Amino acid sequence: MSRDHARSNHAPATVSRRTVLKLGAAAAASAATGPFVWTPARAQGFNWKRFQGKELFFLFYKHPWVDEIVKFIPEFESLTGMKVQYEVLPEVQGRQKLVVEMTGGSGGVDGFHSSTHVEKRRFWKSGWYQALNGFLEDRSLTPPDFDWNDIVAGAKAAVLQPDKSISGIPTFVDPFVLFYRKDVYAQKGWKPPRTVAELEAQAKALHNPPGMYGIVYRGLKNANATPWAYMLFVMGGDYLTKDGKSAMNAPEWVKTMDLYAGMLRRYGPPGVVNFNWYECSSAFMQGQVGLYYDGVNFANQFEDPAKSKVAGKVGYAVLPAGPAGHFTPTFTNAMAVSAQSRNKEAAYLFCVWSTNKQNAVRELLAGVGVGRASAWSNPEVKAKPKMPQDWYDAYLESLKIGRPGLPEIAGVTEYRDLIGVAIQKAIEGAPSAQVLADTHRDFQELLNKTEG
Amino acid sequence: MTLPLPSGERVGVRGAAAPGAPALAPASSLARWAHRHARWLFPAPAVLLVAAIIAYPIVYTVWMSLQEWFISSLTAPKFIGLANYQKILVADARFREAFFRTVYFTFLVVTAETVLGVAMALLFNREFWGRGLLRTFAILPMVATPTAIALVFVMMYHPTLGVANYLLTVVGLPPFKWTYSSQTALYALALVDVWEWTPLIMLIALAGLASLPREPYEAAWIDGASTLQAFWRITLPLLRPTLVVAILFRAIDALKTFDIIYVITQGGPANSTETINILLFNQAFSYFNMGYASSMAVALFATVMGASLILIKVRRTTTW
Repeated sequence: MSRDHARSNHAPATVSRRTVLKLGAAAAASAATGPFVWTPARAQGFNWKRFQGKELFFLFYKHPWVDEIVKFIPEFESLTGMKVQYEVLPEVQGRQKLVVEMTGGSGGVDGFHSSTHVEKRRFWKSGWYQALNGFLEDRSLTPPDFDWNDIVAGAKAAVLQPDKSISGIPTFVDPFVLFYRKDVYAQKGWKPPRTVAELEAQAKALHNPPGMYGIVYRGLKNANATPWAYMLFVMGGDYLTKDGKSAMNAPEWVKTMDLYAGMLRRYGPPGVVNFNWYECSSAFMQGQVGLYYDGVNFANQFEDPAKSKVAGKVGYAVLPAGPAGHFTPTFTNAMAVSAQSRNKEAAYLFCVWSTNKQNAVRELLAGVGVGRASAWSNPEVKAKPKMPQDWYDAYLESLKIGRPGLPEIAGVTEYRDLIGVAIQKAIEGAPSAQVLADTHRDFQELLNKTEG
Repeated sequence: MTLPLPSGERVGVRGAAAPGAPALAPASSLARWAHRHARWLFPAPAVLLVAAIIAYPIVYTVWMSLQEWFISSLTAPKFIGLANYQKILVADARFREAFFRTVYFTFLVVTAETVLGVAMALLFNREFWGRGLLRTFAILPMVATPTAIALVFVMMYHPTLGVANYLLTVVGLPPFKWTYSSQTALYALALVDVWEWTPLIMLIALAGLASLPREPYEAAWIDGASTLQAFWRITLPLLRPTLVVAILFRAIDALKTFDIIYVITQGGPANSTETINILLFNQAFSYFNMGYASSMAVALFATVMGASLILIKVRRTTTW
């Protein structure tokens, strides 16, 4: 089980026969005109072959976006005449390997699929991201129809560093959304909650153990830091003060803790204190829970009747607003070029190719959410939805209110453990103010150590 | 060193030691040098290998433990002397808790495994129908991969979907929280460890039992000793040296337990199952705080070493 915002257990992406035929045609066309079947004329002037004969190596973490893109790598190879090698590892182990490679300065990795919500600050401070600003402006490296501004604002913000350098090209954007039991709601004549107060009231009304528990979300430390971000944002909390100190002593944190831990304690299934997404989604798919919120991409498995008792009975909605406004945490991945690579421009070509409009559509057709606005309005996607319509609606709406879910500091993982333990203690009954006072002190100590 | 020859002649191995010896003397100076230093030369490859793969990492870890270093290409390690150790011993409550938790966990599992293992060994030491088959089944838990076992227990311990609670309710007991509560998680993990490693103690104890002499028992029975008396007064004392070895193995292993804890609870809920190993893994590979993690590794190494020395000493003083 990954400690991180793991998505490794998603249903494999299925591609229909018609898609395959279409893609085959696209591949044939691209061999002659470039990969952009929509606008072959515009792409004609672009020289994809300038790094012909080079070999590239990419390190990928196991991820649905990666599972899909590697299927099309032969197309990139014939387009550019380059050879692509890659390795796919589970996220935690992959990051360990990457950090060791980069610290050793071997230059063996040309690019990687970065989890910006964990790595952004540490990798930037370590000098491991190649800044892509110059490449994006270079017409000989970025095809004319790449269209940087097609990428949604939240995703662009997730790859932008304090020194204005761009560390990667966003691939996959994962906002948190609400999953609810459509059938139960229809029976009761309810609508999905619009405010946190309604959410709590519905969880309370649904709670009828042992047949049905009101609500579930992650209790396990570290993993719980991502759903925590949602409640923190809508209750008006923030991670850092304006001068970069720990903001955990603010009263909003205590309110958030009362809400987060209190709901789980009162309306959650037994043992929820150690639930990761895996236990949460199993409980939901077994029909034991009325409400659940987590990364939108976990939904793929809910609609699989082989795995899920609630297939066809799940409703998807934007998370409700709170007293401080309407936000949802988002977690963004990006294709990045290693600053140590000996083939930076060539590796960058792979980044722009893998994130272009056509590949964004392919990803979305496979049920992998992407950060390109054009893909969502693509007629092909609209004609053959892999997921129910309200899933797409909830996803798109959430992208609009998205906010980077984790603090942009070097010690993200350590922060997640600190708040994670505090949440677990609170779920088990410790007073919110007391656990947060300890955590505030430890968090400030961490900031002193790593941000100074 | 000299070798007696069948003829009664003695030949010096180190070149021309014995006057008038047959032509064993080396021809070139290199060969002569090699001959003279053979006792250094021949073990040298093995010594170098051991130095490279065992000694060097230990020395390097000790050296790293004197540095402050967050892994990165831009900031170099900073020498801070013994500050990491000072933090471990004085300031870091999380480490202190993890240390005593590790010791407590080790004590729990080794005690339970020894008692159960010896009991099982006594059982399997008797002749009965199907013994071979049952003994094979009994050692199966030890053969399985710990990570796979841990993943299975994750599912079995699930408070609402797991089979463990289902079985409890079948016999009329209330459901239990297993690894899903701070109060019970460490014990639930200990149960996994006991299930997995009791067979090891059983195997070693069985070997010990097989080698016991029969005479003391015959003498005891003639004197009218009961079975229980024979066990306490004869079997256990005679088995003691074997058991000390078994306990030593298990204790060293239990102090370092990592896989089942990492897979099942990752040290949680809260930090209630975080042992030194889990903590130092997090420091090194989640927080990339290499210097501090190294000092914890050295502390763990010292603990394991100390425990082993004590147990070995116990064994020496109790050998007959």
